[in-house]
Amino acid sequence: MDRKYLIVCLLFVSLMAETSGPLWSFGSNWETFVFPDVGGWKQMGEIQTFTPKTLYEYINGAADLYLMYDFQELKVAEYQNGKKVSVTVDVYRHKTPIHAFGIYSQERLPDANFLDIGAQGYIEANVLNFVAGPYYVKLNSFNTGPDDREILIAFAKKVSETLGERGALPSVLSSFPEEGKKKNSEKFIAIKFLGYAFLHSAFTADYELSGTKFKLFLIEGVEGRDCKVMIQKYLQQTGNSEKGVVEGRYTLSDPYNGKIDLHWKGKYIWGILNLNDPSLRSKYLKLFKEGLQKRK
Amino acid sequence: MGRRDFMRSTLAGFGGFFFLPQIDMKQEMKVVEARGKEKKFVYRTLGKTGIKLPVINMGVMNTNNPSLVRVALDSGMVMLDTAQTYQRGQNEGMIGEVLKGRPRDAFVLATKARLPSDQKTGLYTEEATEDAFLKKVDVSLKNLGLEYVDIYYHHNVSKRESALYEPILKALEKIKKEGKARFVGITTHINEPEVIHAAVDSKVYDVILTSYNFQQKHYAEVRKGIARAAQAGLGIVGMKAIRGAWRQTPTVNNAAAALKWVLQDPNVSVIVPGFTTFEEMDIDLSVGENPMLTDPEKKDLEKVASISGLYCQGCRKCLGQCPEHLPIPDLMRAYMYTYGYRNLAHAQDLILSLNLPTRVCEDCSQCQVKCSIGFNVSRKIRDVARLREVPTEFIA
Repeated sequence: MDRKYLIVCLLFVSLMAETSGPLWSFGSNWETFVFPDVGGWKQMGEIQTFTPKTLYEYINGAADLYLMYDFQELKVAEYQNGKKVSVTVDVYRHKTPIHAFGIYSQERLPDANFLDIGAQGYIEANVLNFVAGPYYVKLNSFNTGPDDREILIAFAKKVSETLGERGALPSVLSSFPEEGKKKNSEKFIAIKFLGYAFLHSAFTADYELSGTKFKLFLIEGVEGRDCKVMIQKYLQQTGNSEKGVVEGRYTLSDPYNGKIDLHWKGKYIWGILNLNDPSLRSKYLKLFKEGLQKRK
Repeated sequence: MGRRDFMRSTLAGFGGFFFLPQIDMKQEMKVVEARGKEKKFVYRTLGKTGIKLPVINMGVMNTNNPSLVRVALDSGMVMLDTAQTYQRGQNEGMIGEVLKGRPRDAFVLATKARLPSDQKTGLYTEEATEDAFLKKVDVSLKNLGLEYVDIYYHHNVSKRESALYEPILKALEKIKKEGKARFVGITTHINEPEVIHAAVDSKVYDVILTSYNFQQKHYAEVRKGIARAAQAGLGIVGMKAIRGAWRQTPTVNNAAAALKWVLQDPNVSVIVPGFTTFEEMDIDLSVGENPMLTDPEKKDLEKVASISGLYCQGCRKCLGQCPEHLPIPDLMRAYMYTYGYRNLAHAQDLILSLNLPTRVCEDCSQCQVKCSIGFNVSRKIRDVARLREVPTEFIA
């Protein structure tokens, strides 16, 4: 390759990297992030900060799960008003918005009382949680009485504004077929999907059709080669030949997870768990494919 | 202090025998049908509860994969350990789905709850009432779809005062009396010896779930507390055997050895490792078949335990404490390269890159830095900074 051409290419790539930045670039506000002033409330004590190595001090064993979702840092502030009512604000920063959504999705109940805050949030007595970009924000209130909801929402709005743009739920979720999908059941599993280290991460959603419950999943590889390796390892794991793997549909008898139908195309593997009806399996694999095509 | 001396003092200085005499081989074995095969697992009795369990069971907290839980039960594990806080009740809900249709005496279910406490002191706040605790058990039973749990834990206790907190003790007695739990227990992740002794003194708890692992600097005290509790009839369940507790090296290469190290203590009835893959589960199950430490495993543990004492845990609490603004975590890393990895070239490269002042740790009458794990920071810095004076060609 021509040396001059190579230099120009490298320069272009580095410039692009600097100007476009990663998808979660608003996370750069973090260094200057300060907890907001909230009228009538006073911050009590110092802001506490926890890193991956010290998160155990704050949430003990639960830290393990947060670490699986590439937890980076936590800042905690406590507010109190004149009536000794208090609100604790925990801002967890994860590596990417997808990881933040992942841990949020692990704790979100599909039938929660959802709010239009950040990319999504929900409220219940003494608790308001929301996700915004790479941040998972958890508010807890104490002694708030009948004003609980109002207080928590006011705090959430302030924190959301301070964090910057609200972010969005992962766009890839739109490729999941709508028919039979349980609303807000989508999850992101960060590692070891289906109990296999080689499958790394996946998005899942719960479905129910005429009383039959099943799950759809989508694995997004870095590229096609990544997906090929995953399929090969999965075939090997389930006692099949891993030779001659090409894009297309595979039906596997997984000794642990039961019969699994999956389809590989490009950097995506999508599939179905716990659905016995063969025609429905085919239908959903097709719907999924269409959903992914629309996304492009 | 030289590396050899350091290693010697670390292992001995832990204040107890790192390895215990091999446990009596006449342990209770039970043959179980595991996924179509006959397997023999070591069983122990959980203190005065009288519950007989395989020594290895499942901590469910880190997985939401029902297949993993189902296969664990089908493979011979009996106890499932969860908590209401894990995935905000969804972990209990997932387990409840798996348990549907299984005979009630085919599994032992342990769950836990905690009440609001002051994060800094570990003591309960005024919202922590008996009623609040009683409500929690009802939520757990609903999530699990069970009429009762086998063990209901008072979760995450780090102070004697909290272990003896009357509203919760009263609630636990009520929970047991009303048949919502067969037995009650307490869990502790830090300051374990204090909590364990308090649990024994309370005469309320039946079971203790405690962090216990070969990397704990105070393992001898934990072991002593466990012995007293076992003597008093409490059942002991071990956790954090592999990953270690807070501030400790997060992973151990030889997971089986780490589990066996805990099970060498005959006062520990069972462990609940939190595996997340089938491969990890199979390793754990193999320990359940033979928990005896082999010589190579002992060597692995000794090595990691010795070296972990050299590691800075990276809490960065020292930053800002040094009046000379020395980059202490980097210097501690250089110390680890020197004595832990024996990589002097790497250590010297790092030291030289730090642009340290000419005189390092020589001008303060007393070091202001309080290391969170008790390192004599200035001594280590003075020691490792000498690498600057060694000609590079002698090292490379």
